[in-house]
Amino acid sequence: MATLSMSTDTGALREPTPPSSKLRWLFLWVSVLLLALLLVSRVLAVRFLSEMHTQELAATRALAERTRALSGLCLSMQSYDQAVQQFVAQTAADRDAEARRRLDQLTLEIDADFERYPIVRDSEEDALLNGMRGVFSQQRTFYITILAARPAERKRQAESMLAGHVVPIQKQILDWSGKLQVWNIERLQQADRGLVTQFANLQGSLSRVLAIGFGSGLLLVLGGMAYIVRLDRQTRARYVELARSRHALQQLSARLVDAQESERRAISRELHDEVGQALGALLVDIGRLSTTLSGDHPEVKAQLDNLKSVAERTFQTVRNIALLLRPSMLDDLGLAAALEWQGREVSRRSEIEVSVESESVPESLPDEYKIYIYRLVQEALNNAVRHSGARNAKVVVERLARSIVVRVTDDGRGFDPGRSRGMGILGMEERVKRLGGTLRVESQPGKGAIVTADLPIPAGGDA
Amino acid sequence: MKQTSVLLADDHTLIRAGLRMVVDAQPDLTVVGEASDGREAVAMAGKLKPDVVVMDIGMPSLNGIEASRQIRAALPDTQVVMLSMHSDEGYVLRALKAGAKAYLLKDSAEADLARAIRAATAGKSFFSPAVGQVLLQDYMRRLQRTGGEDSYELLTPREREILQLVAEGKSSKEIANLLNLSVYTVETHRAKLMQKLNLRSVPEVILYAVRKGIIS
Repeated sequence: MATLSMSTDTGALREPTPPSSKLRWLFLWVSVLLLALLLVSRVLAVRFLSEMHTQELAATRALAERTRALSGLCLSMQSYDQAVQQFVAQTAADRDAEARRRLDQLTLEIDADFERYPIVRDSEEDALLNGMRGVFSQQRTFYITILAARPAERKRQAESMLAGHVVPIQKQILDWSGKLQVWNIERLQQADRGLVTQFANLQGSLSRVLAIGFGSGLLLVLGGMAYIVRLDRQTRARYVELARSRHALQQLSARLVDAQESERRAISRELHDEVGQALGALLVDIGRLSTTLSGDHPEVKAQLDNLKSVAERTFQTVRNIALLLRPSMLDDLGLAAALEWQGREVSRRSEIEVSVESESVPESLPDEYKIYIYRLVQEALNNAVRHSGARNAKVVVERLARSIVVRVTDDGRGFDPGRSRGMGILGMEERVKRLGGTLRVESQPGKGAIVTADLPIPAGGDA
Repeated sequence: MKQTSVLLADDHTLIRAGLRMVVDAQPDLTVVGEASDGREAVAMAGKLKPDVVVMDIGMPSLNGIEASRQIRAALPDTQVVMLSMHSDEGYVLRALKAGAKAYLLKDSAEADLARAIRAATAGKSFFSPAVGQVLLQDYMRRLQRTGGEDSYELLTPREREILQLVAEGKSSKEIANLLNLSVYTVETHRAKLMQKLNLRSVPEVILYAVRKGIIS
């Protein structure tokens, strides 16, 4: 039984919880975070790389600067040496003063060179530089003693002095300068090594960030997919459920319509057959009794007349109720006669004059068709009587090549079919659908109404 | 006195019993059989050949209208008195078309049954008074609402005379004899009055006459 399976289904139908919006926000935030992470790490990496580039440039520039300063220094010292040697070698006393000025100038230049040498606060470089300066001042002290001597003496001692002092000092200076150069190159290499380490660090942190980003992105995608799959499945399940319950509902309402009809028929038959016939028999008996007694007992006859009129009224009431439940002319005379009767009934009790055209209706229609067409017309006429204020209504039942068309037209005040769809129209729709047909309600305020049902010819109906 | 044989057809025993007592109380009427549905009624009528069949409209297996048609087709001398709960013209007209001569409402069956049977035997129509009233009311209401004219006013006195005779069940030849006219003249009058009143068959003429109270 569909009714039973429906009642077990109601558990699933109970208040479907809407999917929580929390999860949606979580997805949004994680995605935003992920994108922000990638963006920030890109900005940082670019800045870091440009910084490294600057550092490298600075290191190279520093080396070039120092090399230039160092060679300048060496050059100045060499010039100084040569000047001293010239001075020692020459004998002309008149040119002493000039040579001395020249030497002083060179000394100043060398001092300036020393001052100009770019000094980093680094003890090693300082020590090397100071060593070199020390050698230079040793040389100067020595030269100053030479300079103090007279020119002839100077010339005599020059050879041995140069060999004994100047050359070794020059050698020392060269040594120091070589050491400085080596130190400079080392420093460059050191800076390079630092850069390489930094680069490696950058690489490491970049790949870490990428790994995190990729991992969480993957998680996000997987989570999203899982969520979508779940939603998808839920939607499908709900759709199937909806379709099933709609089908069940349709069946239920079809069965309701059927049940209502057979109930009515049963009650009507019961009323007609039992109550009606008993009353009929009673009337006949009362009539006979009253004929038999006529003249003899006037007071009894009066009572009998009273009895008879009560029985007659009851008889009519029962007949009317039975007719309302199930028009017996549908069984006795067929659909066309029943529709005509209904038209006359409506004309009798309302202000509407109903005309009925139903000659072409095949009388061999299945009972189901007859009663549904009858109910359809009944409902449409009832609506017209209750709401339309119409003066005339027309019922046409036509048999066409492939269908039976039932049309009820009235000239009342009409309505907007889109807005007012009462239970009456619903009931009509239900019956028409039950027969596999379509119902159309056309109306406009002030323009009357047309209710048209298009029913397929039943398989068992005559062709 | 010639006995009129009557067959009762009704699916309810109580009603049949009541009717039987009413009929048997009349010296000139005899119940010769009882049938409980339409099929049985047709079969018994064929066997008993009664003068009159009193037939209920609503019966199982074969209803009274169809049973009347079959009986009238097989036995032209057997008349049918129809019993019904309904005074609607759909029933009356169909009963007449099926060949019934009299139409009685069940709630007044007792009082009018004997008269109806006698009228039917004489080939005359008979209707319960209430039937005529209902038909007349319907007719008057329709005239009023549609603003139509009562076409009875359009008939000539001769046509009215012939209308009544036709409705009473007389043939053109009988009418011609009665009125001292030629059959041809009667046929012409008859066609004319039916055209004026928009009637298409003798049952419709009878129905019209009942409605107007010309016959009852």
